[in-house]
Amino acid sequence: MIFVAVGTQFSFNRLIEYMDDWAAEHDESVIAQISDGSYTPKNMEWERFLNGEQYNKNIKEASVFVSHAGMGNIISAREQQTPIIVMNRQFKLGEHRNDHQADGLKWMGKLDGVYTASTQEELNQHLSHIEKLQLKNTNSTVGNQNLTDYIADFINDDLTK
Amino acid sequence: MSKNKKPKVLAIASPGGHWIQLNKICNPLEDRFDLTYVTPGSEYASAVKNSRKVLNVTDASADSKLKLIPLAFQLLWIFIKERPTAIISTGAAPGAIAFLLAKFLPIKTIWVDSIANVSQISRSGRMVMKHADKVITQWEPLSDGEKVVYKGSIL
Repeated sequence: MIFVAVGTQFSFNRLIEYMDDWAAEHDESVIAQISDGSYTPKNMEWERFLNGEQYNKNIKEASVFVSHAGMGNIISAREQQTPIIVMNRQFKLGEHRNDHQADGLKWMGKLDGVYTASTQEELNQHLSHIEKLQLKNTNSTVGNQNLTDYIADFINDDLTK
Repeated sequence: MSKNKKPKVLAIASPGGHWIQLNKICNPLEDRFDLTYVTPGSEYASAVKNSRKVLNVTDASADSKLKLIPLAFQLLWIFIKERPTAIISTGAAPGAIAFLLAKFLPIKTIWVDSIANVSQISRSGRMVMKHADKVITQWEPLSDGEKVVYKGSIL
């Protein structure tokens, strides 16, 4: 199963259409969360919004999570140990207030298990080898733990100030 | 202050990605510290309900300098009421202003630069560089091992 989600803030018709096109030609079940988008999928199961529990369950069960380039979804994908493909919203197409998601692809693409696409071709390219998309480091919460511990120790250390 | 009281920590971030990262870093600290969250994003105050203490401040950015004045007063008021031991921020402007004010008070300041800043420290991060007690990058190449340290990342 592939799970597609565009977040709750804005619609993202373009990504939903691309995935609907893909679903039309592939024998793979696709579930999409489309927010208040005007395009309604014909080849995928869809919901406008999902509760948090169902949302995380879908991410966990998906072989790949396809998302807008939002940080929240990248974190959720990591927590559920699912590789993620992110596509950026474009300001010039009225998909967001600015182009920060385009800039986002630059750093997101450096992360383990995160694949970036800015066009339909790049998206389809990733989807053509889903089995190769993976999270290498399955123990990936270690970095966050180290960071948090370091901060806690620093606060408790009475030597500064 | 009684011995068994947990130290107070303020966690400050702008809405969106900064806020998500702040929560990822600070939520695990809640059993060790008495956390109070501060943000200009009014939507979060209601969303988080009773479990977390979230205070709202005026939104301001480097591009809306006039709003920095009410923001500074709100932050000072929060400092007086909460008397935090430390402040943690992931950015952007409201966190930087808090750090500049805290410089004159006995409050430790810890800046965790956003993971979105891959090739250089953020604008607000550079602003607090000289004033923060600790500046942390989430990208190893940006660390200089002294002033800017790398200790892992939220992802």
